[in-house]
Amino acid sequence: MANIREIRERIASIKQILKITNAMYLISSSKLKKARKSLDATMPYFEKLQTTIESILEHTPHTRQFYFDKRQNIPDGKRKKGYIVITADKGLCGSYNHNILKYTEQELSKTSDIDNCYLFVMGHVGRMYFQNRMKNAKKAYVDGEFLYTTQNPTLYRAREIAELVLEKFEKKELDEVYIIYTDMVNPNQYEPKTVQLLPFSRRHFGKTADGTMKKLPKASFVPSPEEVMAYLIPNYAKGFIYGAMVEAFCCEQQARMTAMDAATNSAKDMIKDLSLLYNRARQAAITQEITEVVSGANGLE
Amino acid sequence: MAKSFHLEIIAADRIFYQGECEHLVITAIDGLIGIMYGHEPLVTSLPTGELKYMVDGKWHYAAISEGFIEVMPESSIILADSCELPEEIDIKRAEEARERAEEKLRQKQSIMEYYHTQAALNRAMNRLKLSQKHFK
Repeated sequence: MANIREIRERIASIKQILKITNAMYLISSSKLKKARKSLDATMPYFEKLQTTIESILEHTPHTRQFYFDKRQNIPDGKRKKGYIVITADKGLCGSYNHNILKYTEQELSKTSDIDNCYLFVMGHVGRMYFQNRMKNAKKAYVDGEFLYTTQNPTLYRAREIAELVLEKFEKKELDEVYIIYTDMVNPNQYEPKTVQLLPFSRRHFGKTADGTMKKLPKASFVPSPEEVMAYLIPNYAKGFIYGAMVEAFCCEQQARMTAMDAATNSAKDMIKDLSLLYNRARQAAITQEITEVVSGANGLE
Repeated sequence: MAKSFHLEIIAADRIFYQGECEHLVITAIDGLIGIMYGHEPLVTSLPTGELKYMVDGKWHYAAISEGFIEVMPESSIILADSCELPEEIDIKRAEEARERAEEKLRQKQSIMEYYHTQAALNRAMNRLKLSQKHFK
């Protein structure tokens, strides 16, 4: 029966793919270990950074600092919004990319004028997706020179990105800056999240747990609040971008590991089913042959 | 012994120090600042420089690069890009970084690049200085 050969070839090709997915599983699990380690190392910094800035802002006198400027005179439809989107460099990581892209689409559709959205996409998959999309009618401008990988995040890369975005903000090429990344709720659950980076507002840091504003003495700023803020906010932006990069990278590896594990398992299941079919077909062939031989022998008598 | 306050030094890649401290001296943008228990609330930013803190009457030194400090009467928090003890500094790496930066400074660069290289040179020099001063 030709069927037997077909099944055999099918099993062989599944085995090949199983090898690949298994190897990818191993690679991503070792990468995940590394990413998790750097995430654990950065987490205290990332969290402390937010709480400290929050408490600093609580006892900051009102400043006319540049980064706090909300530019309220610009109407809603004319505001140029920048989004830093962190995606993966490669596919094959389950719904990780899909989720972040869909989420970004949602965010973009919320804005009143999509033509005034500027995307700074990190990671190859997202860049390809949005550049393709740009060719269609609906467009959000993608910065083609914004080429950063999401692999192994470094503070250096975060600094470059922060500088670029801050510079655009200063030149009024952007009025609002958001960062969209995947947040790790717990090791098995991750979801996309948006955080506003600029302009810097006190509101988005929230209040204390019981909802009251803490009465704190005004802190003194050396040499002056403006100067400290001018220094502190780029620092905060950089730290935040770095933290987001580390977290997203960790999520990516986690997602890839889970996806590849599932792929390996279903490949194993398929092989199991197919070998059952194969054995049955083989057995049927043998039985048929025996019947043929026996009936042939019977015919000789 | 002087009264101690809680000090936290957190670098981007690890918690550098967390615990009691009696006296802290940092380099702020416009000079050295000494901090002891009961200091008035203060916020300032820290350029690349040196930092020392006293625990149990003994001074500890560290090389710090860009960050900021929030001082409260009973606690202080320093957040920095990196923070290293003199004995942790990789002299070879710092040396190489310095040479690289010096080489780059000889080339024509944009203003931004120039600042970057200068900052890199600064960090390397700071590391070298500190490790020579305190670790021999």
